[in-house]
Amino acid sequence: MAKYIGKRLLRSLLTLLIIITIVFSLLRLMPIEGYFENFEKLSTAQINVGLRQLGLKDPLPVQMINFWKGVFKGDWGVSHKYRVGAPVLDIIAEKVPVSMKMGLAALGIALLLGLPLGILMARSTRTRFKIGDKLGTVFVVIIEGIPAAIYHLLIQFYGSKLPGFDMFFHADRPLTWILPIFSLALGNIAYYAMWLRRYMVDENNKDYVRLARAKGVSGGRIFSSHVFRNAIVPLAQFIPTSVILTLMGSLYVESLYSIPGMGGLLVQAIQRQDNTLVQALVLIYAAISILGLLVGDIFMALLDPRIALGKKEGDR
Amino acid sequence: MEEKPILSAKDLELKFTLRGKVMTALRGISLDVYKGESLAIVGESGSGKSVFTKTFMGLTDANGAITGGELWYKDTDLTALKTEAQWRKIRGKEIAMVMQDPMTSLNPLKTVGWQIQEAVELHQGLKGAAAHAAAVEALKDVGIDDAERRYHQYPHEFSGGMRQRVVIAIAIACKPQVLICDEPTTALDVTIQAQILGLIKDLQKKYKLTTIYITHDLGVVANVADRIAVMYAGDIVEIGKCEEVFYDPKHPYTWALLSSLPQLGVKGEPLYAIEGTPPNLFVEVHGDAFAPRNPKALNIDFVERPPFFEVSPTHKARTWLLDPRAPKVEAPERIRHLKEQGVSLRVQ
Repeated sequence: MAKYIGKRLLRSLLTLLIIITIVFSLLRLMPIEGYFENFEKLSTAQINVGLRQLGLKDPLPVQMINFWKGVFKGDWGVSHKYRVGAPVLDIIAEKVPVSMKMGLAALGIALLLGLPLGILMARSTRTRFKIGDKLGTVFVVIIEGIPAAIYHLLIQFYGSKLPGFDMFFHADRPLTWILPIFSLALGNIAYYAMWLRRYMVDENNKDYVRLARAKGVSGGRIFSSHVFRNAIVPLAQFIPTSVILTLMGSLYVESLYSIPGMGGLLVQAIQRQDNTLVQALVLIYAAISILGLLVGDIFMALLDPRIALGKKEGDR
Repeated sequence: MEEKPILSAKDLELKFTLRGKVMTALRGISLDVYKGESLAIVGESGSGKSVFTKTFMGLTDANGAITGGELWYKDTDLTALKTEAQWRKIRGKEIAMVMQDPMTSLNPLKTVGWQIQEAVELHQGLKGAAAHAAAVEALKDVGIDDAERRYHQYPHEFSGGMRQRVVIAIAIACKPQVLICDEPTTALDVTIQAQILGLIKDLQKKYKLTTIYITHDLGVVANVADRIAVMYAGDIVEIGKCEEVFYDPKHPYTWALLSSLPQLGVKGEPLYAIEGTPPNLFVEVHGDAFAPRNPKALNIDFVERPPFFEVSPTHKARTWLLDPRAPKVEAPERIRHLKEQGVSLRVQ
């Protein structure tokens, strides 16, 4: 296992290296305006001095090596457009906590409500009229079927009329956190409920459940230690990714409530051609996506004995 | 066999409701099973053999219900059991089951030991180390070497035959009175089949189990059963000791079934097959259910259902041919001399 994780980490680093090289090279093709605050007013000589100072006149491999050196030293460059002169890491560090707090709260709520809802629906499929399952399905279909933007807007519009609530987010007023967190959670509630229900119904129809009934195991115990336990495995794989993804924030909800989070940062950085910021964000996004997959796979292997990481076929 | 049966069905009728249509899966079936015996229920797919045995454990699918007749286990009226909690006193503890496909009948995420121990804890009232020891003992009982180590392994680390041994260990760990084996060897290699059948036979002797086999393999039947019940379209048409049913069959369906034995085939000629298809159980069956496929059916076969006629105290068949007024119809030539021909029904 440790050997496998080591190998996977090395391979992940390699993937990261390739992604960054591609993005880095592509960004060199971008117009150089992105490195200057007041490009129009500068003379050619001034621009050349500026570029040289930034190391952009060096050959590409040298630039690359310098960039990586900086990355490991914690110097990821400074922003030239978004917030002139500010280190990009500072900009990001200031925005990540807001997005993450909000995202984690939303994810927690989604798991806390979505999983029980899924269980409820799965159990209800075994009753006569399946009322719980039908109601749950209506909810899932509405949330998954209607574009999120529509119900986000409705939640903001009607929710903000409640006393103490507001159309916009204020970090110091806890009540104003509720609507965006709820908006963020809603989609995930439906997602977890839908998949858990589906996996549980699948498991429930398997032969080993029949055998468990035949040997006299009670319905409740079959559900908890056989059906739920087995149905959660395919879902668990995605939970680490979901956790890590919270630090990226949500573009739509954050702009709707004017939340100073990560959500819109990349888009703004690209629009304003802030090349250093784009490059730093891409590095972070790539790294966390790769990490999420890795942790998900390890998680899965811990839960499912049939997955033997790092072992060759036939090893015992 | 004068004693009281351990398991008894009387005119049992079971109906399924499927999309508003009603299917009669068991049409007034009667069967007595006696303690310590080994009974085989044979019949083609869809004849209701699995459905029948599932009613003994209350495992009928939710859309099925017993609509008539009686079903007794010792002194317990099984038709009166309504809740899962009531059924759990029977399931596993009194009647245990070995299912067809060992590849899917174990939970893939639990160790085999855990799964056996679950049964031990439920039915033997043991906990902790004692339950663990009993589970290891059960593994040894079914002939698994190195049981202590095997206890901690997962189903995917076992071969098909070994998994079926584990399933049998689970059944045995419940210390049941009756063991139902629902096609226990169908999914296994021929070489493994004989081993598994041998194992069940040994355990039957060791624990004085009553065993009920469900199968469509007459070779399996000859190997393990004392008595045979032949099922057709939701009813038993003939029942008797193994030799009686094999060498002196009375029901035209049993004749047809035996005629289809591949051992009787002549090289180069197609194997015998029964004409037609089983009756549609969504419509009511009149008379003898097999009559439409029986070229020598009597007129009354289409009108009235035959009662059981006794051939010997242990041998009964539901056919009008046994009525004293019936014309004499002989069994087909090819199965009349099975005994003399010494046709080997045993698994090699």
